[in-house]
Amino acid sequence: MSKIIRTWTVNGESRTAEFPPMRRLLDVLRENLGLKGTKEGCGEGECGACSVLLNGEPVTSCLIAAGQVPDGAELLTVEGLEQTEGGRLLQKLYVEKGAAQCGFCIPGMLIASYAYLRNGARDPAETALRDAHAGNICRCTGYAKIVEAVQAAAEQWPAKEVNRNQ
Amino acid sequence: MSTTVSAYRHVGQGLPRLDGDEKVRGLAAYADDIPVPDGWYGHVVRSPVSRGRLKKLVFDPAFDWSRVCVVTPADIPGENIVDMIGRDMPFLAHDWIQYKGEPLALIAAPTRALAREAGSFVRAEIEEHPPLLTLRDMIAEYKRDPSALHQLAAQTISKGSVEQGFAAADLVVEGEYWAGHQEQLYIEPQGMVAFPEPDGGVFIQGSLQCPYYIAPELIVTLNLPLEKIRVKQTAVGGAFGGKEEFPTLIAGYCALLALKCRKPVKIIYDRHQDILYTTKRHPVWVRHRTGLTRDGAITAMQVDFVLDGGAYTTLSPVVMYRGILHTTLGYKCPHVFVDGHVYRTNTFPNGAFRGFGAPQAIWALESHIDRCASALGMTPEGFRLRNALHLGDATATGQVLSEPMGTPDVLEKTLARSDFTRKRARCSRGDPSAKKWYGIGLAFFGHGSGFTGDGESRLKAKAALDLELLDDGAPGVNIRISSTEMGQGTFTIMPQIAADGLGLPMARVRCPHPDTKYVPDSGPTVASRTTMVVGSTVFGAAQKLKTLLETYASETYFGGAPAELVDGRFRNRYTTDTQSFDAVARRLIQERGPQRVYNQFQLPPTIKWDQKTFRGDSYPSYSWGCNVAEVEIDPLTLELKVTKITSVWDIGRLINPVLAKGQIEGGLVQALGYAVMEKIGIKDGLYDASRMQTYVVPTALDVPDMIVEFIEYPYTHGAPGAKGVGEIPMDGLAPAIANAVEAATGHRITDLPITPEKLLASRELQAT
Repeated sequence: MSKIIRTWTVNGESRTAEFPPMRRLLDVLRENLGLKGTKEGCGEGECGACSVLLNGEPVTSCLIAAGQVPDGAELLTVEGLEQTEGGRLLQKLYVEKGAAQCGFCIPGMLIASYAYLRNGARDPAETALRDAHAGNICRCTGYAKIVEAVQAAAEQWPAKEVNRNQ
Repeated sequence: MSTTVSAYRHVGQGLPRLDGDEKVRGLAAYADDIPVPDGWYGHVVRSPVSRGRLKKLVFDPAFDWSRVCVVTPADIPGENIVDMIGRDMPFLAHDWIQYKGEPLALIAAPTRALAREAGSFVRAEIEEHPPLLTLRDMIAEYKRDPSALHQLAAQTISKGSVEQGFAAADLVVEGEYWAGHQEQLYIEPQGMVAFPEPDGGVFIQGSLQCPYYIAPELIVTLNLPLEKIRVKQTAVGGAFGGKEEFPTLIAGYCALLALKCRKPVKIIYDRHQDILYTTKRHPVWVRHRTGLTRDGAITAMQVDFVLDGGAYTTLSPVVMYRGILHTTLGYKCPHVFVDGHVYRTNTFPNGAFRGFGAPQAIWALESHIDRCASALGMTPEGFRLRNALHLGDATATGQVLSEPMGTPDVLEKTLARSDFTRKRARCSRGDPSAKKWYGIGLAFFGHGSGFTGDGESRLKAKAALDLELLDDGAPGVNIRISSTEMGQGTFTIMPQIAADGLGLPMARVRCPHPDTKYVPDSGPTVASRTTMVVGSTVFGAAQKLKTLLETYASETYFGGAPAELVDGRFRNRYTTDTQSFDAVARRLIQERGPQRVYNQFQLPPTIKWDQKTFRGDSYPSYSWGCNVAEVEIDPLTLELKVTKITSVWDIGRLINPVLAKGQIEGGLVQALGYAVMEKIGIKDGLYDASRMQTYVVPTALDVPDMIVEFIEYPYTHGAPGAKGVGEIPMDGLAPAIANAVEAATGHRITDLPITPEKLLASRELQAT
């Protein structure tokens, strides 16, 4: 079976991977590129643990055939968050507020938080914030401390890290 | 041993979790993340029928079997049993099959796909027999003739004479309560890797709660001595009891395959397998008969408590024990009789899940208490305040509550905090003119901390502390316990406790993942026991190590003058001299090598328990909680929304208020799922929901406003005085919601989960 070769910008670096046509983006990230931070919780797009940013949009990487991601695409995984000021802020506040317990949903949850805040969302009513995280299931925290952490991050979010296209 | 509050520097602080950084950076290594060079993948071949006799396993010659490694019962080096309580479960079925999905053979292959493909070439010839599949069928049989059922365990509790109690009653209130399965749904599926060791042993790593369950339980199956079965915990992505006893099975599958093919073997369940082929919370049926006097006293409580155990014994007896011990807990009553049973159904064996029988018991009890109040014309809060246990009162087993506790304090505080009495006056009670029905409901409950009965005195939890050079090259202390971190905070609160016991800053104390090669048996991480039992054992060990260090500092640096270690410095008590911990410990390690101290948990001698008669002190201590739930129901669609939860808790001394609150909030949301969302039945012998799309748990949008407050009544028999927190948040929300739904609609739902369909059926039932 012929393999597919793709070159993407992953966490700011140019990375090339060669893989069988039907391999999931999740597996290419974990197995080919060694980015084990992205997790598989359900394999069918329900739990959100495998969320990554694809060209700035959060996607569940278990539902995407890696071959469908074109050359030149930009991917951001949990490992890349610390390269951004907003990502570091979220990571710090998640720890401070107690938003991570077992930690398995956290890579995907952080991606959801990052996408939400980068899109300029500032919603004191909480509903939109919760809505933005409703595709990410956490079984440990009851979401209370995740909401607290994201609210705190919203207040301190760096102005330069807002997606102007939104 | 007692230490004043002022001595604590770290205990009581909401410090950020020590494993937080690696978790938010995606660096924590879970079972599927650890490197397994040259590893193979394991696959389990399962029974397609629910009950029958296995005649033959046929390996289709159309498949090239030389490409894979196969384990059948004939390949098991030791006994083909899972060495748990009942010893009735085979590792691989070889005669009777008791449930659909029961393992028949194991296959390992270089790829997961090949292992699965090989599995599809195995055919089982089975003589089918009729199965018993559901709790409903089981209870119908139980009411007709219990002797027709296969009993897995039974136990009674008896106090006074219920006949006498009923004779003294003005009225008797009866009720039956049901609850179905609940899936733990940790986000990380079950996973394990077994590495064959050159000495013939095996090294098992994976997602697990209890390293010292797996290692000793595999002795008889693998026919290896304990020292050749090494078990290490990886990071664990949630467990909730689901990784208590079940991992022994998956570890066994991996180990059997690895020992045969001499390669590392890994099994990571996908979500579908994880829901279909792992343990669930036991379905339950409870029948209450309660004798009451007109003035609101309880004269007799008679309870039948029956669990659906699934196909084999596993931990079911102990789940039932905790169930029957909580099924009347919280209330004064002179005459009690509880009859507990576990029977077999031909379904996947049920097992541990946060609360371990207590949520089922309290679901029934707190629903029934509202019924009792209503039958007397009393308010739910008035009836509870009238009958709640106080200091000096005795439980059903005759345990006298002899240390100050949160009963009835949590009840009074929650009532005040939620404005319960005023709000209850405006409940809708099915008012046909209302646009939205509003209801408020209450539940009050205790939860035994630590093992049931004499469990802790038999186990004697051990903890060790190693004074050695840490990975940064400087001296420090590694905490060696078998307690695991699965998100609840063990690796943070243990260093807090040890640092205070030692007089060291947190940075010099670590709690690494347990590895049976290095840690003594502190017992399993279950039963709300870790902070109280293992925490106080670690505190004791820390004080011993502190004494050792102070003696050395005194002799070596202070000419025999007493030394005191405070905040990482030794102070000469007679002068102003000080020495740093770093200098003293370095020299000590250089001269004498790393130092290890041990400590062992001891129950106070006043705690007595008779396992045969179920009389005495059933738990070393109790945590207490009270939940008030508010609901809104659409009269047209019967859509149910829980709008607010108010709760007050006594979990003893708070070691880390942020983590403790996180436990409560997370547990409440799991309890919310149990109460109104999480529905899983049996269809053709398998669970009818096998994916996250069909087994629906709360998302961020389903969670109501939660108020969580604490009152601290520390455990008095061991510093620093924590009691259990892990399980109690699971206990009381379901009945609080059922009571609120009754207040909103005028209908009582007696079967969990409470869904619009059940409300509709209950309304139609009343209309006919």
